Amino acid sequence: MITGKALPRRTFLRGVGTAVALPFLEAMVPALAATRSSKPPVRMAFVYVPNGIIMDGWNPDYEGQLGTLPRILKPLEPFRQDILLLGNLTHNTGRALLDGAGDHGRCCASYLTGVHPLKTLVDIKAGISFDQIVAKQVGKQTRFPSLELGMEDARQAGDCDSGYSCAYTNNLAWGSETQPLPPVLDPRALFERLFGNGRAMTPEARARENLYRRSILDFVGDDTRKLETSLGPADRRKLDEYLSSIREIERQIEKAEKDNAQIDPHMEKPYGVPADFAEHFKLMTDMMTVAFQSDLTRVITFLVTHEGTSRPYREIDIPDGHHPLTHHRNQPDLIEKVAQINCYHLRQFAAWIARMKSIKEGDATLLDNCMIVYGAGLSDGNRHLHEDLPTLIAGRGGQYIKSGRRIVYRKETPMCNLFLAMMDRMGVHAEHFGDSTGRLDGLDLA
Amino acid sequence: MQFPGPAKPPTGIVFDSAMDKIDDALALALLHGFDGRDEARIAAIGISNPNLSAAQFCDAVRIFYAGAAGAGSARGLPVGLAQGRSAGASAMLSAPVRATVVKSINDTAEVTTVIRNALTAQYDRNAAVVLSGPATDLAKLLDAYGAKDLIAHKVKVLSMAAGAFPDGPPEPNIRANIAAARRVFAEWPTPIVAAGYEIGTALPFPAASIEQDFAWSATHPIADAYRAYRPMPYDAPTWAMAALLYAVRPKENYFRLSEPGTVTVLDDGRTQFRASAEGMHRYLILDPDRKESIIRTYTEIASAKPVERKKKLAAK
Repeated sequence: MITGKALPRRTFLRGVGTAVALPFLEAMVPALAATRSSKPPVRMAFVYVPNGIIMDGWNPDYEGQLGTLPRILKPLEPFRQDILLLGNLTHNTGRALLDGAGDHGRCCASYLTGVHPLKTLVDIKAGISFDQIVAKQVGKQTRFPSLELGMEDARQAGDCDSGYSCAYTNNLAWGSETQPLPPVLDPRALFERLFGNGRAMTPEARARENLYRRSILDFVGDDTRKLETSLGPADRRKLDEYLSSIREIERQIEKAEKDNAQIDPHMEKPYGVPADFAEHFKLMTDMMTVAFQSDLTRVITFLVTHEGTSRPYREIDIPDGHHPLTHHRNQPDLIEKVAQINCYHLRQFAAWIARMKSIKEGDATLLDNCMIVYGAGLSDGNRHLHEDLPTLIAGRGGQYIKSGRRIVYRKETPMCNLFLAMMDRMGVHAEHFGDSTGRLDGLDLA
Repeated sequence: MQFPGPAKPPTGIVFDSAMDKIDDALALALLHGFDGRDEARIAAIGISNPNLSAAQFCDAVRIFYAGAAGAGSARGLPVGLAQGRSAGASAMLSAPVRATVVKSINDTAEVTTVIRNALTAQYDRNAAVVLSGPATDLAKLLDAYGAKDLIAHKVKVLSMAAGAFPDGPPEPNIRANIAAARRVFAEWPTPIVAAGYEIGTALPFPAASIEQDFAWSATHPIADAYRAYRPMPYDAPTWAMAALLYAVRPKENYFRLSEPGTVTVLDDGRTQFRASAEGMHRYLILDPDRKESIIRTYTEIASAKPVERKKKLAAK
């Protein structure tokens, strides 16, 4: 019998001090409406990599349908039908505009704000970032309006680039023109934030929990069993996969903490942060996946490493700092190393995209219902160029974006035009943002 | 002891033209000449006639001057090109373009965006906009978010080749887009100086200069364009050159200025000037005894071979 009753979208599995949100299940769609209007929400994320990209390895030498991808984008080749490459987008506000040196500070601060930041070490001033404008509106429907994440510990004060405060190089999201939103770096802190009923755990509580080493899923076992009896086979399988993914994240965090316990204490590793870059990236993106899947948030910014970082990449046998390498003075061996770092980042990103694509959501995949922008605030890191910024969108924003293509716009096309188009897709209407001159067209045209 | 701060750079010139008359090409040469002498900086080049070959020509001229100065392929903002249907390429653009990075429309920028971006990089009241051709781009710029405020802060003068003063028949640049001209005269937030039709016709650029002064290069794109525009020899009127000369050297008294007032554009494209103390508009007046000096300045600066960058740096 069709009753039209449905499981509420905001159903949680509850336990002591715990509430685990659920992914989008068929049982949440009223039977009579299943073929009509119920659609999963559209989510958006920004994955920002610093110091530009070796653009020769990024830009294909063709427009239109994506075929063979250039070297740096190679890891995304299995997903080329799921990505859209955008050429010639520019952030004029990241340029010097009479303020002299400091392109790393400016490019990061202007990336999502679309404004020219004030050159200062103290009275910082940029603008509200567009992700936060979206978060303020669509965030009312989720537990977290947005998540700001990162992977590299970085100070928030002091001089990080030629007179620009570290607040500019080390944050992507800005809640207001004077309030950057520092990224969460520690996977456990993020995990507890997502699943710990919204309360930050005290060290004592965390120690107590560690003592028992119980899975958070143990606390919601009763609710889980009750829910399972009311679900169909497909939903039961989806729920099982989802809860397994949470358990897997827990396992990784536990492993990271054990690994860190063996590290020389002089190395000052943050608690719970994996020493391995790829492992850390996977952990953070796994939680981003769960956060999107369970509709805990629809807006995420992810500052992979901070702008101007000199982090070495010993994981791939590159002991040199990233930033110094990017000033390669056209020396082939240095360019090669930067390209390898670029590729390494893309490999991690591609693994995340694979995971997002593997998750069914309604008639599509979780990836299909997202707009995940991967990009940088500089194109050529050697010359500090702010035009033709490397930009791709993975996902279709809810069957809106016609992927599998490369679109080259006219030079100087403001990046903020893309933001306006994305805001539309997120259901947030604005006539103008930053230095936009209109909405970026063509995203939905095959 | 106090060290002086960095000197204010020379005026940044935004040059917007239809690039369809040889006068526009000569003005472009004059602009590169001033830029090479550090009397002005090329802030942006805009083209109101949406013709790709005009953009290729401007880019080729840039590459030519950069090469002659030993500056490699150094470049600033891309050429701004209006979008729409082209009225067709001028005969001067039929000369072969030797080197350009402009292969398609995507190698150019939307013209109002490039002008806006150029102005953001200028010191306050240290830019001048020079207009030759219809006011289409500038009228559109006025619609851009925040543009009027930006113009008011950055631009000291709009020097435009437009109108006929004190009166005369409809002038071609005004007639090409009467609504845009009307809008710019009414809403542009800085002083406007107009170089009327009578100025350009009274100051012909001598064909002999093309054959003599530009001969330092066998492949000079301006000389090639001049020869392609019309059968040689002919002297060319210089409306755009006059507007540019005033913008770069306003204090040299090449021209007298009218009293302040307001220019109104009539329905048929004629311009009407009404004097008023609070008016933001003036027009150029040519004294016959200055004619020779102006034409000599035109030919010297427009035809000048760029000083090699190394020599220039060594001289500083």
